[in-house]
Amino acid sequence: MQAFESSLNTTENTLKRLLSGAWNLSPAYFGTALLIAAALVFRPILLSGAFFGVILRQAAPLGMVVIGQSMAMRCRSIDLSIGGTVLAVTYIASSHYLSGWPGYMIVLACLCLGLAIGTINGVLITIFRGSAVIVTLGMTIIFIGIVIALARYTPPGEVPSLIRYFGSGRLGGIPIAPIIWIGLVIPIALALRITVFGKYVDAIGSNPGAAAVSGIPYLRVIFLVHVFSGLAVAVGGLLLAGFVGTGFTEAVVGQDLVLNSLAAVILGGVTFGGGKGRIVGPVVGAFMLTFLFNFLTSFGFDESGKLMMQGGIIAVAALIDAAKRR
Amino acid sequence: MRQFLSRSESRSGLSPSILAIPILLILILIPAAGGFASWENLSNLSSQIAALVIVSLGQMLVAVVGGLDLSVGSVISLVTCVLATEGWPLTLTLPLAFALGASVGLINGWGVAVMDINPIVMTLSSMTFVQGVTLVWRNVPGGHIPKQLPFAAVGQTLGIPHSLLWLVLCVLVLTVVLRHTRFGLRLFAVGGNSASARLNGIPVRRITISAYVVCSMIAVVAGVYMAARIGSGDPKIGASFGLDSVTAIAMGGTQFSGGIGGVASATIGALSLGLISNGMNLLGVSTFLQSAAKGVVLVIAVCAQRRKSVGV
Repeated sequence: MQAFESSLNTTENTLKRLLSGAWNLSPAYFGTALLIAAALVFRPILLSGAFFGVILRQAAPLGMVVIGQSMAMRCRSIDLSIGGTVLAVTYIASSHYLSGWPGYMIVLACLCLGLAIGTINGVLITIFRGSAVIVTLGMTIIFIGIVIALARYTPPGEVPSLIRYFGSGRLGGIPIAPIIWIGLVIPIALALRITVFGKYVDAIGSNPGAAAVSGIPYLRVIFLVHVFSGLAVAVGGLLLAGFVGTGFTEAVVGQDLVLNSLAAVILGGVTFGGGKGRIVGPVVGAFMLTFLFNFLTSFGFDESGKLMMQGGIIAVAALIDAAKRR
Repeated sequence: MRQFLSRSESRSGLSPSILAIPILLILILIPAAGGFASWENLSNLSSQIAALVIVSLGQMLVAVVGGLDLSVGSVISLVTCVLATEGWPLTLTLPLAFALGASVGLINGWGVAVMDINPIVMTLSSMTFVQGVTLVWRNVPGGHIPKQLPFAAVGQTLGIPHSLLWLVLCVLVLTVVLRHTRFGLRLFAVGGNSASARLNGIPVRRITISAYVVCSMIAVVAGVYMAARIGSGDPKIGASFGLDSVTAIAMGGTQFSGGIGGVASATIGALSLGLISNGMNLLGVSTFLQSAAKGVVLVIAVCAQRRKSVGV
């Protein structure tokens, strides 16, 4: 009897631990599991190799952007310059200004542009102490304006074949974009877990005041996070340009990326300051959102339905996070 | 006394450099842009900026309690579409518009004040959701606004454009609310230091929620004005107002950390923004370069007001 009771106790404990472990997981994991289950029942074709590869390829740009966004948000900052950066990067990659350059040089130029925008953000936020919301928003407005004004004289053209290869090529049947994406996520996630820099980001997020008092170079860390975010967005922009194949001047594309990156980060369990999901959570969130939009499209949802869904998901993820904090 | 003066100055958010922006712009535009000072252009300017000034006043209230409301643009779009519903009289659509606006504000306020969700996240989600609802209501621009309304927005009385009346009325009402009511004082108390406001017996949550509700209601007023001005419903017409109003109050010196802001500062910010586009229109600058220039001005205006905290 006693043995039975103790075994009951241990099962209960394991169950409790499992439950609390699951409760601590970010909403992105549940959402993804739920979606895949729903897809298995209603739209199994989405899980077939060909479709799944396309979805992964679609998710890659958002997945890259989310890396920078999640780091910025964990430092209680935010990067809304994504829209402008993505547009500027795709424009540079596809316009005639650099058309004589070899592919790798164009890629490098795009990365430098991302780096530069990130650096400007970082300087304005840490040295001039502008509000990150306003500063990065301002950068988006500036770059969208410049690109669209320039594009009226020199419209964007085709993307160099190297970038197209990154964005839509395949390597042994597997799309390259997700390989690049996941190949970058793993080392970054590991580095943030192991390095001192990662610990700093943690510390600043959970209590900026305490972090500053305890001698953590917190301005430098926030600066670096923004520089890094600019770079990650540039990679995302390159993948997107390669996926689309041509440059584009629709500001909506970038604005969509911004909204979705915030949604993915919140789904990934990261809110302003700290959070559980770190890098992997938001990355799973990015996949989940992309999968969801494809799933909804397959049911014939139009823009309005998707927008309501998007808004609802952000709210639900934020509410779950709020409930956990209590 | 001096300390008192500098304190009261910082609470309104106004500073000499902020006042200098519109004055400088006007001084530059009078000689540079022909016809700037003409009565026609000025009444044009007032009809262009009226909606932005009105929305910015609401945005400022939310900023004073340390928040941000990105959903005002979607509310404006929704209101124009509701008012343009075929066959519905104003006596039905106007109350409905205000009820919808109030409920958006209530949900925003509840999320921020009760659930402790970051205002950017909360209002971003309602912005997206309401935009979706608006597109369900009306997918493409169109519909008709009952005749009485357009006259209220584009007409003139004794040579004074009605848009100016809308603007002045909203500014006066909010000045009274902010300076001469308990609610106004409490907004500043909550924004300045919510913990000590609570200790002083101020119902912090209720005040915060009210700020969001009032902000959405003001956005409804702006939506009614926009609907009257264009004479139809447009599901995307408000899209830029969320960010523009944030830009406007930032240029006016309102701080997003809370406790600092005022009617004058919001109005001056919106006026500066309006002057920039009006002036560049007259000078023939392309709309896209105009928006780039707005971004530059915004970044400079925000960075000129150094604050202590870093980040959001």
